[in-house]
Amino acid sequence: MPLFGELFVSEILKKPVLDPRGDDLGRVKDVLVIKGEPLPRISAIIIEKKKAQYLLKWDSLSIFNKRIISAKIYADKLEVYSPSADDLLIVRDIFDKQIVDANGAKVVRVNDVKLEGLNGDACLIAVDVGMRGILRRLGVERNGENLVQVFGKTLTYNLISWNYIQPLEPRLTTISLTIPRQMLSELHPSDIAEIISQVSHKEGVILFEGLDPDAAAEALHELRPDMQAAIIDKMDSEHASEIIERMPADEAADVISDLPTEKAQELLGMIEREEAESISELLGHEEDTAGGLMINEFIAYPPELTVSEAIERFRKDAGELEEAYYIYVADAKEKLLGAISLRDLILAPTDAKLSDIMQDKLQTVAPETDEKVVAGIISKYNLLALPVVDKDNVILGMVTVDDVVDLLLPPASRKKRRKV
Amino acid sequence: MSRWRKLLIFISIIGPGIITANIDNDAGGITTYSVAGARFGYTLLWTLIPTTIALIVIQEMIARMGVITGKGLSDLIRERYGVKVTFFMMIVLLVANFGTTVAEFAGWAASMEVFGLSKYIMVPLGAFLVWILVTKGSYKIVERILLGACLLYLGYVFSGFMSKPDWSLIAQNTFIPSMKWDTEFIILTIAIIGTTITPWMQFYLQSSIAEKGISRAHYKASRFDVIVGCFITDIIAFFIIITCATTLFPHGIRITEAHEAALALKPFAGQYASTLFAVSLANASILGAIVVPLATAYYICEAMGWEAGVDKTFKDAPHFMWIYTTLIVISSLLVLIPGAPLILLMILSSLLNGLLLPFVLIFALRLVNDKKIMGEYTNKRSRNLISWGTVIVIIALTATLAFMTVTPMWKE
Repeated sequence: MPLFGELFVSEILKKPVLDPRGDDLGRVKDVLVIKGEPLPRISAIIIEKKKAQYLLKWDSLSIFNKRIISAKIYADKLEVYSPSADDLLIVRDIFDKQIVDANGAKVVRVNDVKLEGLNGDACLIAVDVGMRGILRRLGVERNGENLVQVFGKTLTYNLISWNYIQPLEPRLTTISLTIPRQMLSELHPSDIAEIISQVSHKEGVILFEGLDPDAAAEALHELRPDMQAAIIDKMDSEHASEIIERMPADEAADVISDLPTEKAQELLGMIEREEAESISELLGHEEDTAGGLMINEFIAYPPELTVSEAIERFRKDAGELEEAYYIYVADAKEKLLGAISLRDLILAPTDAKLSDIMQDKLQTVAPETDEKVVAGIISKYNLLALPVVDKDNVILGMVTVDDVVDLLLPPASRKKRRKV
Repeated sequence: MSRWRKLLIFISIIGPGIITANIDNDAGGITTYSVAGARFGYTLLWTLIPTTIALIVIQEMIARMGVITGKGLSDLIRERYGVKVTFFMMIVLLVANFGTTVAEFAGWAASMEVFGLSKYIMVPLGAFLVWILVTKGSYKIVERILLGACLLYLGYVFSGFMSKPDWSLIAQNTFIPSMKWDTEFIILTIAIIGTTITPWMQFYLQSSIAEKGISRAHYKASRFDVIVGCFITDIIAFFIIITCATTLFPHGIRITEAHEAALALKPFAGQYASTLFAVSLANASILGAIVVPLATAYYICEAMGWEAGVDKTFKDAPHFMWIYTTLIVISSLLVLIPGAPLILLMILSSLLNGLLLPFVLIFALRLVNDKKIMGEYTNKRSRNLISWGTVIVIIALTATLAFMTVTPMWKE
């Protein structure tokens, strides 16, 4: 039974369905959809008469448009329908659900669904997320149109093509829809975080599990701290540990410190040993101090190394590091002697010793220094990283500028996820 | 996890319950309590106990839904009951909350006049500050101001103590219920319970819990927040009634508005108590004037799938900003127009709230019992019995109150 042209599902709801004699079979209650190529198609319509539901297969229809719907079969041939959670029903499962719109990085709702005839089938081509859809569902689309015309405007259609929509969970029952996974991965981590902060926890976890661990690690970093812990806590541990492993140690420590103790220990056990050790070390410091902010992976070479040797070693060592702005110069006991910026290192004569070219008047902080003081020093001396040393001047780690940039900005532009 | 960290997590979870509960004592609530104290002394204090219980039962349920689903109440209603129901519900809520906003600005105007400040200056100024705070400010600022303002409610506790009440008589009246077969007495009894549980609060509480992203693991802390909030609401109410009961009731001073209480307190409880009372009223009114329109804009946008957020601009979230702005501008203008039908509007608003509350509560109860939504966190049988019982009683009381508010109009 072909459908000519297009129609919105809300336009056929509650419409009477007639049999060949013109008798009333019932009223349209819902539309059953099955997978199809390239688009999902209607397999049957569900009609209701006197509280009983019947299934009317697409093939048994003879006329199907918004003015009239008629079937080839009579009332006694109707198949009784009992709702199943496995079926995908437009009204029950798609109407009113959330859509995560990746283009605008925002959440919208399905107000209506648009069908179009395609090779004899009625396919689901788009969802309506605009005002028109709401008015149509309320049965006042025409009135709405007239009303806005008074103000010299027109109601625009706001449709999202079904191609861009993909179920978040395999079964659509109580969940929202989202844009395709690949599209999500292509978004900037901040935008992903924005989306995740707008859907429910459960969906947030599902979204996260769909991302590749690198993207997930970055997106997680952009989330609000309480949300980070909530999401990691609910994820299966294997997945969670993979993501944590890919985060810089200082951020990983922040997330882990917000988890329940057992979960934190379990995750630390699953993470690569070296990484887990740096995280544990950082966990010993209060969050808002230099110790809590610092990365404990840095480059420190002995003073007698020559520039060319240093460059050679740097090539090997720097690959695994998050940030490498400076090369620190430290003695055998790891006491900090000086620092060299990469620029200075490269411009220096290749046979010079590090001790000759290093800056030895260094700004350093103790691990318990307050984060605001740290930010102040970094800002005042225009540093990219500030070394953290203990009372014997042994280097413990460094705080990089990106970890304090939030503290330096005026409150309005700080990372914030909404609201009341 | 260090002890500090645990405390920090706890502090990060508390908030929604306490803020919601405090804002519940808005201009309308304070008026009810003041009038009740002045008219009947301590005799109505006992109503606060059933009120607190009802409040806890309802709020706990709403908070649980917020934690488990991570969605607001209007989200859940839209997803479960469709756009039509939601749309009409939102329209009623919009009108009802519009009336409430008018009441808040009226309360603000009255409290400013206690200090001799002209409402023609203070109302536009207040409205402008409220507007600028949300449209130009960030969420963090708004939340801090709300939390700070909640502390100012302590003013009522102080003025309560300053009135030097008779504590033994208070204890007696709090724990032993008494009834008078007097229409005014019955109306006030119902009004005390009725002003405490409102439709918009349920939406507001669940959204703010969902927004905070509180996880199941932290549900206990969140429940504690809600219960503490409920107690705070009624402790404040308790002290307002006490203040007015101790100072105004023995002298037979009748009041109909909260600011009259502030003025009348002066000769009996002293200048400070009177000032504290007026400042607290001003604070409650302005807090209500921020939150009621804000909450309205939030859940209407959530339900309709429109962009919303304090951090957004007019361009990003036009519906949100326009709903908020329109509510504030029209309400504050109405308060300034001499002879504007304010009383009628407030009556209409309480009537609409009364009409809406049964739907909201019944929807909430049905949603909380839906296994597909709540999993194992649905109401247990005994709790269901209590909740349904509470809901039925509240609905009956609200219906009576709404009916009573309207009937005088027919008589006139």
